[in-house]
Amino acid sequence: MSDRRLDRRLQTLYACIEALFQAGSEQELLQCICDTLVADGEFLLAWIGYGENDPGKAVRPVAQAGHGRDFLEGATFSWGGEERGQAPAGAAIRTGKACWVDDIRTDPSFSPWRTAALAHGYASCMAVPLIAGAVDLHGTLNLYSAERHAFEQSAIAHFAGLATCLTRAVVALRGHLADDLTSGVTALRASEERRRAQEALHQAQTELAHVTRVMTLGELAASIAHEINQPLAAIIADANACLHWLDAARPPLDVVRETLVAIANDSDRAAEVISRIRAFLSRSSVPHGPCDPAEVIRGVLPLVHPELRRHGIILEMSLAADLPTVMGDRIQLQQVLLNLLMNAAEAMREVLPERRRLVVRSTVEHRDDGPWAVVAVEDAGVGFGNNGDARLFDAFYTTKPGGLGMGLSISRSIIDAHAGRLWATTNPGHGATFHVALPGMR
Amino acid sequence: MIAGLRDFEGGRISQRELHALHRSAIQDTIERFEATGSPVITDGEQAKHSFATYAIYGLETLAPDGVPISFADGHIRILPRVTAGPFRYKTPADVYLDIARPYAHVPLKQAVSSASALSLLYPQDGIRDYSRQQYLQAVVVELEGEIRRCLHKGAHVVQMDFTEARLSIRLDPTRRLLESFVDLNNLVLERFSVDERQRIGVHTCPGADRHSTHSAEVDYAELLPSLFELRAMNFYVQLASEPDRERVLKLIRTHAKDGQRIFVGVIDPLDPRVETPEDVSERVLQAAQYIPVDRLGTTDDCGFAPFSDDTSRTRETAFAKIRARVAGTALASRRLGLD
Repeated sequence: MSDRRLDRRLQTLYACIEALFQAGSEQELLQCICDTLVADGEFLLAWIGYGENDPGKAVRPVAQAGHGRDFLEGATFSWGGEERGQAPAGAAIRTGKACWVDDIRTDPSFSPWRTAALAHGYASCMAVPLIAGAVDLHGTLNLYSAERHAFEQSAIAHFAGLATCLTRAVVALRGHLADDLTSGVTALRASEERRRAQEALHQAQTELAHVTRVMTLGELAASIAHEINQPLAAIIADANACLHWLDAARPPLDVVRETLVAIANDSDRAAEVISRIRAFLSRSSVPHGPCDPAEVIRGVLPLVHPELRRHGIILEMSLAADLPTVMGDRIQLQQVLLNLLMNAAEAMREVLPERRRLVVRSTVEHRDDGPWAVVAVEDAGVGFGNNGDARLFDAFYTTKPGGLGMGLSISRSIIDAHAGRLWATTNPGHGATFHVALPGMR
Repeated sequence: MIAGLRDFEGGRISQRELHALHRSAIQDTIERFEATGSPVITDGEQAKHSFATYAIYGLETLAPDGVPISFADGHIRILPRVTAGPFRYKTPADVYLDIARPYAHVPLKQAVSSASALSLLYPQDGIRDYSRQQYLQAVVVELEGEIRRCLHKGAHVVQMDFTEARLSIRLDPTRRLLESFVDLNNLVLERFSVDERQRIGVHTCPGADRHSTHSAEVDYAELLPSLFELRAMNFYVQLASEPDRERVLKLIRTHAKDGQRIFVGVIDPLDPRVETPEDVSERVLQAAQYIPVDRLGTTDDCGFAPFSDDTSRTRETAFAKIRARVAGTALASRRLGLD
């Protein structure tokens, strides 16, 4: 290389280094470097491209100067291993080493771009990767010359050094802005997706709980119909009697009044059952609020009593007077209790009538974190069977013919969501006891 | 207003007197805006300190030495820097909507800042005991609440200003910053239902301020593919000042998603010449060749004074340009046989 040419190249490199320190933004810097590299006429085109992570692994020009903007718009470079990745622009990204074409007319690796390149007067080209130590910008600085064999070893070394300095300057300019923000947004997106997954799970659990409530009430339909039919029959009979009395010349108004009071009472009784069914079938969950466990128990009894009576089951209640108030969803807690009572009734269906005794007991437990309300449902039925207890709370596990096996699983998830505990024990004599423990309101 | 704000900052007038000036300016803006015949109006952001930082103006947990934004004419705007958490808005946009609504007789569009713009306020070296993730989470929550309240209070559309989109490519040509911006803004937009998003829009422009812009040199081709990944249904796209509008329209046609409505900029606020209705009509007719007319609308390229100290345009010029937009859009509508 002539001294004159070496001088010119050194001047160009000094101008580039000055730009490294003066540029206010990455784009400004890249453009300035390209402008400087073509300024003295040694190169026809200078451009800088970044490798994309798209399916085609494109090399996207981000700055260019000189003669050939339309060449870059028409050319498609890739850093992948296929034909479009063989040009220096892509090969240097892929290999991390300088790549060059001494003669565009004859080099087979440049054949896809040859015609356009020759039309622009390019005879040789070179790409140096934007790498500095461990930092890889995944890009290249590209130079095109009108001379063949323009890029001898010293030129390659010069421009590889410039690319290293340029890489360091770009990293400093980026100041990790994108890295920092990307990591923050990525973490936020992950936490947002966890939140959405939890919401979706909660929604699914709420819907499943609703479905099982509907199914439970379906099982109770016959008994509940009977429960409602009784007051309705009494209302009809009393109403007819009243009509009959009112036809008399001197109606016995005292008796009529007394009968109308009975009609009103029977109507209230039927309405109470229907009202509890409607509340129980409510689709949406309600916000947790203070619940009296004794009220929860009493709220379920009108629904389950007829079924117990139908199977000749005697219900015994033993409720502690000082049960702590708990925070919860009253309907969901009633669902758990109803499920346990129905299971107990089912377990006793095949046992001798004199053994059909169901006990609902509530107690207070004083723990380190305060009082807990514990409700136990004790039956004298067939028990868990061989090793059945380990899977009792698994979804789809059932011992009932035609059972879905979701009741206990959903009950446990409901109690878990109330920060409580649901578990089962085998009774010393017959049957089993299910225990629900809920923390008192703090 | 500018003198009033200066007096307030100098302690010469009270907050109450400043609010009275705001109300008066908003009332005047709305009256004049409605007089242009525009079917949708704004309050001209008369009471905002700037389009990007109005919500945090006056917070005590800010320092003035944040990210500098340089404009092509050499002037620089410096964003504030958050110095401590937790982050909360001081004056969200629905407060401005509350002031404007009583004066308005036609639908009001309400502009809000974007999460991505506010993300630039967190310092590079972090804040002790307040991580970037915590900050971004707070921004998302604040912005969601702000948009929700604006929708609830009857804003016709809530427009998120995303002027830093194009700027991000200047700052980071790898476009990772842009992708993070889009992802962050989507974290806000995804909190709204599809129906709600019909009333949410995104505005993009190269950041006009005074007589200049901060990122007009960034090619739209770098931005538009990512822009339409935003889960908004309305896009207010600067176009009038583009040197090659047809090329941009082709890009929009390629990248806009089904159902997204495109409001093309037909007025260039930086151009001192007032466009004629004929100019506007031609721009609309050109856009109609690339965007289905049932998804096409018109807008101004940008606000006429996004910062409260910007005196580069007069109110008379601004309203003359808006009148041209309204008249030109109506003219184009007739020519397209839509009336």
